[in-house]
Amino acid sequence: MSTATIQTGHANHDAHEHQEPSFVRKYIFSTDHKMISKQFLITGIIMGCLGMFMSVLFRLQLAWPDQSFGFMETILGTWAKDGKLDPNFYMALVTIHGTIMVFYVLTAGLSGTFSNLLIPLQVGARDMASPFMNMLSYWFFFISSVTLLSSFFIETGPASSGWTVYPPLSALPKAMPGSGLGTTLWLLAIVFFIVSSLLGGINYISTILNMRTKGMSMNRMPLTLWAFFFTAILGVLSFPVLLGGALFLIFDRSFGTSFYLSDIYLQGIGALTNVGGSPILYQHLFWFLGHPEVYIILLPALGITSEVIATNARKPIFGYTAMVISLMAIAFLSFIVWGHHMFITGMNPFLGTVFMYVTLIIAVPSAVKTFNYIATLWKGNIRFTPAMLFAIGLVSFFISGGLTGIYLGNSALDINLHDTYFVVAHFHLVMGSAAIFGMMSGIYHWFPRMFGKMMNNTLGYFHFWFTFIAAYMVFFPMHFMGLAGVPRRYYQFTLIPEFGVWMDVNVLITVSAIIGALAQILFLYNFFYSIFKGKKAVQNPWESNTLEWTAPVKHLHGNWPGAIPTVYRGAYEYSRPDREEDFYPQHIPGNDNEHVDDHGYILPTPVRKEIPVAEKPATVFFTSFSRLFSFKRA
Amino acid sequence: MLAVGAFMLFAAFIAFNKVYDIASPSTVVQSAAWFGVGDDKFEPVKVQTTEQTLSSNINWSIAIFVLLVVLVIANVFDISGLAARLSGKENLSGNNVNKYIMIIFLILGFIGVYWEFSHHGKYTLLRNSSSEHGVEYDSMFNVTLILTMIVFVITQALLFWFSFKYAKSPNRKAVYHAHNNKLEVFWTLIPAIVLTFLVLKGHQTWRAITYNADKSKSQNIEIFAYQFGWKARYAGADKILGAADYKYISGANPLGIAVKSEVEKLKLELDTAIMNDRKALKDLNSSLSQLRIQLELYKGLADRTNVVITDKEIARIVSGEVKDELEESIRRKSKQLERMKAIEDNKTVFATMFNNAADDDVISTEIHLIENRPVTFIFRSRDIIHSAFLPYFRVQMNVVPGMMTQFTFTPTKSTTKIRSEKNDNTFDYYLYCNKICGTSHYNMKIKVIIESESAYNTWMQSQKTAFGKEAAPMAVPVSLPSDTTQMRLDSLPVNKLQRLTSR
Repeated sequence: MSTATIQTGHANHDAHEHQEPSFVRKYIFSTDHKMISKQFLITGIIMGCLGMFMSVLFRLQLAWPDQSFGFMETILGTWAKDGKLDPNFYMALVTIHGTIMVFYVLTAGLSGTFSNLLIPLQVGARDMASPFMNMLSYWFFFISSVTLLSSFFIETGPASSGWTVYPPLSALPKAMPGSGLGTTLWLLAIVFFIVSSLLGGINYISTILNMRTKGMSMNRMPLTLWAFFFTAILGVLSFPVLLGGALFLIFDRSFGTSFYLSDIYLQGIGALTNVGGSPILYQHLFWFLGHPEVYIILLPALGITSEVIATNARKPIFGYTAMVISLMAIAFLSFIVWGHHMFITGMNPFLGTVFMYVTLIIAVPSAVKTFNYIATLWKGNIRFTPAMLFAIGLVSFFISGGLTGIYLGNSALDINLHDTYFVVAHFHLVMGSAAIFGMMSGIYHWFPRMFGKMMNNTLGYFHFWFTFIAAYMVFFPMHFMGLAGVPRRYYQFTLIPEFGVWMDVNVLITVSAIIGALAQILFLYNFFYSIFKGKKAVQNPWESNTLEWTAPVKHLHGNWPGAIPTVYRGAYEYSRPDREEDFYPQHIPGNDNEHVDDHGYILPTPVRKEIPVAEKPATVFFTSFSRLFSFKRA
Repeated sequence: MLAVGAFMLFAAFIAFNKVYDIASPSTVVQSAAWFGVGDDKFEPVKVQTTEQTLSSNINWSIAIFVLLVVLVIANVFDISGLAARLSGKENLSGNNVNKYIMIIFLILGFIGVYWEFSHHGKYTLLRNSSSEHGVEYDSMFNVTLILTMIVFVITQALLFWFSFKYAKSPNRKAVYHAHNNKLEVFWTLIPAIVLTFLVLKGHQTWRAITYNADKSKSQNIEIFAYQFGWKARYAGADKILGAADYKYISGANPLGIAVKSEVEKLKLELDTAIMNDRKALKDLNSSLSQLRIQLELYKGLADRTNVVITDKEIARIVSGEVKDELEESIRRKSKQLERMKAIEDNKTVFATMFNNAADDDVISTEIHLIENRPVTFIFRSRDIIHSAFLPYFRVQMNVVPGMMTQFTFTPTKSTTKIRSEKNDNTFDYYLYCNKICGTSHYNMKIKVIIESESAYNTWMQSQKTAFGKEAAPMAVPVSLPSDTTQMRLDSLPVNKLQRLTSR
């Protein structure tokens, strides 16, 4: 701690007192958004590896249900006696795999990493609105991760009632072993996670609304920022509902309330006293978060892809305004479609109709996004960096997985597809693989920005193609299993003769999954090797327009050593015909009043209103809100 | 470089085949089949899983081999990059290789999709439903399938084709084209129109399935779900399903149907159980001391199992866990009795529930349905949420404790018919559980038999009523022992003591 008090003593031109922070302040309890984003990323990667390893374990069980795997007993002990996975532990693996991937990797690992890294750098701010809250956000996330993983080390095992943790199964410790202490830990972990997510989300929103640099109007923001902005709003509005749901469940489990329980007779116990509750209530509360959660996962990935595709196609993103509006439409609609997860719970069929209507409407903004991505590639000058490959992969997954959503969103078709492998295929493509690819794209793209080093492109190519092909080989055949009525979350299919025809497909899927998992070793090697030994990155390796590439790579508290750059134009002025270079960074003052129309013709100078720099947060909020609805290109 | 890329794809596929082949014999045919260019006769072999002799070593060694190949090729890449740098040119080799892989992937991908449809498509239930509403369901499905496949092919083709066509070239600049309102309006409206059509057709199908089903004509059958099995309850001669309540569930009455004699028996059982619990509670201290004496005895023996068991039991008593459990059990049973009494006291409710309609109900471990006769399944759960899933009939409904759910449909294809259609004499319809429900979720199913009316009547006559006067009480299934006995054996120290001391 002594180093913290030593003044470096050189003349200070900034208002900042510059001092070298201690190791703990710099690397552990850091309030610097760049360090926090690295913490989120590394924790996310570790959690991701665990989640993937779990999926390999249960895939082995599904492919070779009668085979004994010695190594399983070595690592899992009593959970895999004689090298064969225990049915209860299979459920636990499925549950924790889902929880880790949805919350810990794709919510915190993706949104946490890139919101933290990019929001201050791209809006042109010295740090987050509240760096301290930001630090708390990470540490709550860390506590949450540890709590969740600790449930592997208790006698009754982790929560095992599926990642949705539906009561009464999860509410009654006698219903299955995992519903004992394991579920308590799961709920505790989720409560910590929600706190983390809220602290982060409030910070992201206030930073974007209040701390944009001079000239950075809302309609000049890169699409990444728009995506993070809507993601944060979704999180702030929906996570508290899950918190409520989780608290009710905790009450039901520990204090004898009956929010979710009614008319239950348990084997070995007898009739329970709980009456009047409804398990369906939990599903409503859960999916009120659960559906926006899907978009909390997907929107940042879409934002990242927009940025990566425009940069590497050397073209303005096609239809910036349409992209923002479709993001907004998706974000809004995601709040009113939760019932499509519950078509067959026995709720009123009329409700099913309403939810089907609003669900299928989401396909429209999603389609617009897809077409705009494709139009951005059209007549571009595409540079296949690994980031670009992953972005194209995302679009491909988004199409494949999104189209199956049209089946599942249809309440009639959902009758026979609900909870089958069709659903597994659908969401693993559209939000699992797509969002992971968005995350990978972001990592490859902003790695130079984070660590000042370049990642190896060739390894990146192999990583991409192996993962891409493996992911399709894993998830595409699952559609057909689902259409044949194979239910998900089954421990094995050998007891049902009808499903015997799928045995070889299960083997194919598992082998593909293993190859996909092994491909991640390429990434891990590339990532960690490049941090230390990678080629040194230049200031703006991808010749990108956005502000984050103007800040020095060296970790500076406050991001820019001097004044924060001023923004003169939108983020996507690539290949402008009036420019020699094919990019035109936002911060370069230039003959900017020249207005270029769709076809590249230079128009007479339009009169531009100066954007007033508002002082009070409330003013900023309202002005930016009003600007939300006036999409004029500056 | 193109060759390298192609080789990598090839290596990946070979790796798939290698591992895959271990489970099934015909290497050549299947390798070709996985490539999507094989002959049409290929059928996935029904794998006899017990006969598999897969060694995970082979798995791993292939994986490591592939990894090594990757690393070697990565080096080749680096060298070519170095060569480009030395000659002072921009290194576009990686870009060009990826550009070609894009187009190869597009073609192979479409072949793969086609192959999936032609080979796995036949195992799906895309056509030929076994129920009346299934026909509408299937037409809805096919319309959606055709529309989405058109979009799928066009968008994926454009995505990869553009990636190929507009890959970086040093002597070209990208076109500055930021937006085009007409185009954007066009591709907002087209999906909107298509989806409107799908929504309306979906609505129509959904209504046909959920609203228009004529419930007055259909036969009511109760489907009862519990961890981990199903039971079907038929109305019997009076054609009325008797009332049932979770409070009346007992070992002898697993569905808790309202039969007076059974309820009286249950009341006595509960009274005795409460008395036993109270006694155990009072004797807790003496049981503790006895257990301690016992522990000392066991410590002298070589076998440690009894020591561990007794130790645990003592710890449970000392920590107050047993006391809590007993008190909770007394409270729960008293409450149950109290509520049962409340029903008896309310004359109208009692009269409606105990109207003797349940007396002739038939409880079965198979579901028998009459061909072309509408049926309404009324679902009731004993413990947690299950889901009744009959894929062939396009029927699924959650089974929720505390809330009755139902589904009306008309089976149109008898078991015999589907057997001859499938050319499989052992085939049977099943109702599966499709909501995660615990350890044996994967084996929670009940056979469904669709037959002619006469066959159904013959079967029905052979069934005995659950508690009918002339019929003997149905045998209590082994999986459902009397709950109170189970309780005492499991958790009460008294019995454990008796068992220990009686040796």
